[in-house]
Amino acid sequence: MLTPAEPAGAQVSGQDPVPADTDRRPTRRRLLGIGAAVAAAVVAPRGAAGQRIVRPPSRRPPEPEVSGDILLRLVRRVTNGVTREELARVDSLGFRKYLDYQLKPSAIDDSAVDAFVTSNYSNLSQPGTGLYQLNQNALMRELSQATLYRAAFSKRQLYERMVQFWSDHFNIYYPKVNYLKVIDDREVIRRHALGKFPDMLRASAHSPAMLEYLDNTRSRGRNVNQNYARELMELHTLGVDGGYTQTDVEEVTRCLTGWTIAGRGQFRFDPNGHDFTAKTVLGVDIPAMPASAGAAGVQDGETVLDLLLEHPSTARFIATRLSRWLLEYDPPAALVDDVADTFARTGGDIPSMIRTILTPANLMAAPAKYRQPYQLVLAALRATQASVSGVRTITTITNAQLRNLGQPLFQWEEPDGYPDEVEWWAGSILQRWNFCSYICNLSTGDVVVNVTNLMQVNTAQGIADAINERVFASEMPPALLNRVSEYLAGGTINEVRVREALALALSSNEFQWY
Amino acid sequence: MSASQHEDCNACNEYNELSRRGFITGAAASVGGVMFAPIFPAWLPKVVLAESAATRDIIVSVFLRGGADGLTLCVPFFDDEYYAGRATIAIPRPDSSDPDRAIALDDYFAFPLAMAGLLPAYVAGDLLIVHATGSTDPSRSHFDAQRFMEVGKPRDPSVNTGWLGRHLASSTPLRSDAPLRALGLSSGLARTLVGAPRALPIPDPATFAIGGRAATRAQRAEWLYDDYIASQEPVRAAALDALNTVELLQLINFSGYQTANGATYPNTAFGRSLRSAAALIKAEVGVEAIQVDLSGWDTHSNQAPLNGSMFNSMQNLANSLGAFHADVIGSGMAQTVTVVVISEFGRNVRQNGSLGTDHGRGNCMFAMGRNIDGGRVLVENWPGLERENLERGQDLRVTIDHRDILAEIVQNRLGNPNIDVVFPDHSPQFRGVTV
Repeated sequence: MLTPAEPAGAQVSGQDPVPADTDRRPTRRRLLGIGAAVAAAVVAPRGAAGQRIVRPPSRRPPEPEVSGDILLRLVRRVTNGVTREELARVDSLGFRKYLDYQLKPSAIDDSAVDAFVTSNYSNLSQPGTGLYQLNQNALMRELSQATLYRAAFSKRQLYERMVQFWSDHFNIYYPKVNYLKVIDDREVIRRHALGKFPDMLRASAHSPAMLEYLDNTRSRGRNVNQNYARELMELHTLGVDGGYTQTDVEEVTRCLTGWTIAGRGQFRFDPNGHDFTAKTVLGVDIPAMPASAGAAGVQDGETVLDLLLEHPSTARFIATRLSRWLLEYDPPAALVDDVADTFARTGGDIPSMIRTILTPANLMAAPAKYRQPYQLVLAALRATQASVSGVRTITTITNAQLRNLGQPLFQWEEPDGYPDEVEWWAGSILQRWNFCSYICNLSTGDVVVNVTNLMQVNTAQGIADAINERVFASEMPPALLNRVSEYLAGGTINEVRVREALALALSSNEFQWY
Repeated sequence: MSASQHEDCNACNEYNELSRRGFITGAAASVGGVMFAPIFPAWLPKVVLAESAATRDIIVSVFLRGGADGLTLCVPFFDDEYYAGRATIAIPRPDSSDPDRAIALDDYFAFPLAMAGLLPAYVAGDLLIVHATGSTDPSRSHFDAQRFMEVGKPRDPSVNTGWLGRHLASSTPLRSDAPLRALGLSSGLARTLVGAPRALPIPDPATFAIGGRAATRAQRAEWLYDDYIASQEPVRAAALDALNTVELLQLINFSGYQTANGATYPNTAFGRSLRSAAALIKAEVGVEAIQVDLSGWDTHSNQAPLNGSMFNSMQNLANSLGAFHADVIGSGMAQTVTVVVISEFGRNVRQNGSLGTDHGRGNCMFAMGRNIDGGRVLVENWPGLERENLERGQDLRVTIDHRDILAEIVQNRLGNPNIDVVFPDHSPQFRGVTV
């Protein structure tokens, strides 16, 4: 595994004004034709003012060679945990084709996972009228379990990574909206996770769950509620420093009056709740309409969404958040510029932005990120190749275990989503160790972690090697491999001790980073 | 946010000196010669180490997340504009005959019934309410406003650590052998505490233990120690703190904890947290700062301060703090404790269209302790609630920088003179809130 202390190369410098799209994507030929010497030149230091900033004349430096290390880094960023199967896939497809594969989830056969989810969590596909009649807490448990199961075992790993990202970006606290979140998950998050950002934003703005969560359903006429209007700009589009004012919050609020819910989970514009008077949003006049305009009043809100989507701050904000999620906590400004340009050029096409972010050079320059507890759970399930034959243990994981770890799904109350910050998550390390202990001790029941296949060479070194190969995809640093072996040698080697050694390996600092 | 330099190097020397020994020999090991100077980044002013004296208070810091409505928590019933703005969600005047009428604190301010649990503390002179206070920054964003308050300086991206974290980093430990100086009773470490040496988020101290077989627990703990000793901050500190703390917390019988004065904590997450805080403080293990969050204050709709959601939130707050007052502050124990309660901003003077209130500015805050000059509502030039006196025509103005109150407590009650470290670039005005 990647040792986080390792600097992983300096930032890529010289990212000049965006070249044409074709130059951005590393071609196979270019990648293979360039040796390590050039790769080393790419990682020039970030220049202090006036100091040897060597800019190539017109385009960014060539990409470094796609080594095994780059492919490994790609898999780390694209999946919820490296597995031998995934490494074999990237080895056979190569960098670009693997990314293509992951960016077209509909072309990936995921029938086994679909079958598990539809047979065990059949309620989730019901229409609103059916969902409404169910036990709402039980429904939340179904949604959490199905989400975790897909994230851990789906072959559409990048898609699932993006589902998690957007679920935080457009965070909704389930207990406030109940079944409406199930509809939002289907029709906003999963429908558009790898689609176009404008489609996703519009879907979210029309989502009954979002309108209820942020109180827009309670914003009528002159009796307004600013909650959604503010977060729409602060968290969903422009960002807090994106150039809007308190007056804009008030004006956008008025534009969105009457956006509410009908029936069981349908969007409805209610002209009787709309403020038809003139508004000014971000300096743009939105003229008054006669109240007789009726249903046409919805256009005020649609205009706001258009203005927000066209605003350069939105492209930058989404670019920053996406780069942070997929690459590193502090993405270099030049990369954010590139991704924002891609947003502008492609109409907010999410796969195109991902291609701009996940280049070999960027991957080589990015330091490791700390796994959120949910990501640790997923990585542990994947690495141990846990076999799942029922739902009882998954219930325990999504309820007791994730709650203990501080990250129960769909239960972050505030609209900013779970923090993607090492400072927030670093402290709960003991809970992580205890989770690793828990998962490695699943020897019976409907989720089983099998360790007998780690014991074919039944010596301390043999078992440590097997853990390295099967669980760590042969990426264990030698010092960790030694420590695992030493632990095994420190007592009678039996299944219990092997499970403890496996739990320690997953508890190690190295496994907490990706 | 990346771990910037001054977080990375946080208290390295303390760990090098302490951790291995503390871990091997347990909490009883005494450690001398703790060095601080190198842990401070160049941008910090020169640090004078605080005295470690028996008269120093332990601090409990409570953050009300979501922007608590200070005009409901402490009602300015004398101001008619309050009633004009709150046609259907006001707290009835204390001199009315309404069964839900407020409880007068003085001639101007009153508690709603839900806050009655704090009356004994107020009457005892231990509870101070400061009104028309808050941040100097006008942000109405929860996340910006919380951050600015927690780091102690608005709009300075170079300040990433929390004010309480820097207080701890710039003061000697209350007990030099303490494996844990501070904890947040939460899943993640609140920014208020970031930067503190020997600080951990511990949602439930009673269950803070290494799982698995007891027979191999020590062996596994030592393995983890060896693995994390070479890791990077802030993970390294968290791991070593956790290992140093598990044994300590095992020694405390949280479930059998007996409160003093018949105090009963509500069986809520917040009530249980304060009960755990009391048990930790009385165990005298060197924990000197405890951070607790209480959310649910973003009352955009159906605020219901007389019978609904905000009533419940306030009752939870007041009954929990009231129990803590009876159990700890009023128990006559030698170690004194100060509690501070803040929220990121107040809410609009006028209610919105859904029986709630939107994000505002000025708010109230609370300080509670034997060494707090309480039993009063501190205001300075009450700005008034007439439209022309409101910020943006909507909100109670901030007339007292909340940092003034905190800084006075840090200097006078926590014994730390490094106010310029705790609140960079702020020259606090002290108002005699401590005795």
